[in-house]
Amino acid sequence: MIAQKTKKIQKGLVNELTRVSKSLYLIRFTPHTPVDIKPGQFVSVLCDNLTLRRPFSVMDYEDGVISILFKKKGAGTTYISNLKQGDEIDFVGPMGNGFNIERKKSLLISAGVGSAPVFYLHKKMEELGVENFFASGFVSKEEIPSNLEFDMVTTDDGSEGKKGSIVNYVEGLILSFNPEKIYCCGPEIVLKLIVQTAEKHSIKTEVAMEKVMACSIGVCKGCVIKIKKDGKIQNATVCHDGPVFDGGDVVWQ
Amino acid sequence: MAVAQNVDMSFKIRDVIFKNPVLTASGTFGYADEFDDFTDVSSLGAVVTKAISMEPRPGNDHQRIFETYGGMINSIGLENVGIKRFVEEKLPILREKHIDFVVNLAGKTLDEYVSLAKVCAEHNIKAVELNISCPNVKSGCLEFGTDEVVLGKLVESVRNVYRGCLIVKLTPNVTSIEKIAQASQQAGADAVSLINTVKALGVKLEFINGKFKKSTVQGGLSGRAIKPIALGAVSRVRQVVDIPIIGMGGIYSLIDIFEFFSVGADMIQIGTANFTHPDISGQLVDELKNFMTENGFSTLKELKDNLRGEY
Ligand SMILES: Cc1cc2nc3c(=O)[nH]c(=O)nc-3n(C[C@H](O)[C@H](O)[C@H](O)COP(=O)(O)OP(=O)(O)OC[C@H]3O[C@@H](n4cnc5c(N)ncnc54)[C@H](O)[C@@H]3O)c2cc1C
Ligand SMILES: Cc1cc2nc3c(=O)[nH]c(=O)nc-3n(C[C@H](O)[C@H](O)[C@H](O)COP(=O)(O)O)c2cc1C
Ligand code: FES
Repeated sequence: MIAQKTKKIQKGLVNELTRVSKSLYLIRFTPHTPVDIKPGQFVSVLCDNLTLRRPFSVMDYEDGVISILFKKKGAGTTYISNLKQGDEIDFVGPMGNGFNIERKKSLLISAGVGSAPVFYLHKKMEELGVENFFASGFVSKEEIPSNLEFDMVTTDDGSEGKKGSIVNYVEGLILSFNPEKIYCCGPEIVLKLIVQTAEKHSIKTEVAMEKVMACSIGVCKGCVIKIKKDGKIQNATVCHDGPVFDGGDVVWQ
Repeated sequence: MAVAQNVDMSFKIRDVIFKNPVLTASGTFGYADEFDDFTDVSSLGAVVTKAISMEPRPGNDHQRIFETYGGMINSIGLENVGIKRFVEEKLPILREKHIDFVVNLAGKTLDEYVSLAKVCAEHNIKAVELNISCPNVKSGCLEFGTDEVVLGKLVESVRNVYRGCLIVKLTPNVTSIEKIAQASQQAGADAVSLINTVKALGVKLEFINGKFKKSTVQGGLSGRAIKPIALGAVSRVRQVVDIPIIGMGGIYSLIDIFEFFSVGADMIQIGTANFTHPDISGQLVDELKNFMTENGFSTLKELKDNLRGEY
């Protein structure tokens, strides 16, 4: 019964690991069994003997190779950043719901490492011929990942692209590009401001959320956020019900 | 030693025959169907469900997970769907998929435990585990598991309305776990399971612009870090009760299981390990079976006797 299904836990081999900005790394690996991955879905990587897996959005999946863009932070990401070509990587996934692509003129906004899942979304939209505009914000020029291309970038210090936070440009982008839908990923405060701006213009949003996870399968209830559903405030798990939510449903902290 | 032809891994508690001694721990396996993508759930000795209360509970606010060296702290706060939805939605799935299960019950009052047990009896649920030991919920739970008189009354009251297999799950956060175990046995429990999580505090400090910022998660510690605490508790409880013991706390491997058997556990549960290795419980069933076959143990009793030095 179970044997016919692809197990969502498996191993892969690392193709390459490259540093693509001051603090961002790109790892590409090939799972032993091919998988189907939608933009916005994530994989959870086993990091040596750390208790918990580390969740990462998929930045690309092509020719059987999964790409993850990650920021070196603590023990888990340090472990991954030390992997070498040919090393084994153990992952669970793809997990979560992913973005819902519609035939609508779409504005794609990301901040920092949040550009990973949005890049994959952008790529799929291009393939499907969905008109879109991809803008991303970074702290400074040296933080912009060299492997990605954007329609517009902002940097807090103005060292590249437009100066200031990406959130300052959302209103302008809405007016100039006139999107029917907005997709975004980044720090929660950025998402909240984007959603609020979009709501002023009655534009639907999809946001990719983050929360510390234990199981990444929806059983531990460790990663819940509050959402509005059926007129009530309810819990939703980021790993299973999300990570992508209708921006209008999220109850911001 | 000869190869065993037929390996019987079963273990019986009251009228319930568990086909093998590998169970999954409450709160770490959902309501079981979630793990279909990872392992053959029906091969497990049993799945213990997430704690269930009369009414649905939303659980705690704020951050719920904190990773520690060798473990994790959780502060979920018994978020669950409530017994009504469990019976309507989850029970049919478990039965249809032939998954053996134990229902973990959490009440705020003695009456709530009794009502929950009645519902289980009505629905012919074969085994329940009383969660008297959840450290995260401020009201109720803690007192039941820490006072042997209160606990004795609780177990007795549940026993009066429930004839299935009654397991009492003990907390390590007490002065004498032996007393609580004895009280459970005297009040009519068929088995005790231990340990629940260990009360703990996770502290994270960040130094930003010359100022320390502190965030904390108060909850229960689980995982590898608590294995020695759990082994100690099982060993001490074994000295004072005759009923079966289901051991847990930081089990990740066959050797870990053997350690628990060696100090007196009859069956075991896998908890936190399921998060990191969602296929581990099924794998351990296979490993146990292979070990027994290859080394000529035809029953669990033979294996345990050997582990306890009773050849
Ligand atoms: C759905 C999802 C997608 C993500 N996608 C990416 C991505 O594409 N690229 C990327 O660089 N990061 C991503 N993250 C964040 C990434 O999981 C954390 O940066 C990583 O877990 C940090 O691990 P660490 O051991 O290096 O850091 P530590 O800070 O030492 O980790 C300690 C604990 O906190 C958890 N944790 C720390 N930061 C986060 C965070 N922001 N979100 C969730 N858990 C966290 C860790 O998993 C670990 O359990 C994503 C998180 C989620 C939930
Ligand atoms: C996230 C999480 C949720 C838990 N929820 C419950 C619960 O609802 N009821 C219960 O009796 N125990 C609960 N526990 C305790 C476990 O069942 C188990 O007793 C404990 O984690 C020790 O085993 P381990 O080290 O293998 O995880 C929970 C543990 C974790 C980590
Ligand atoms: S991480 Fe366990 S429910 Fe989401």
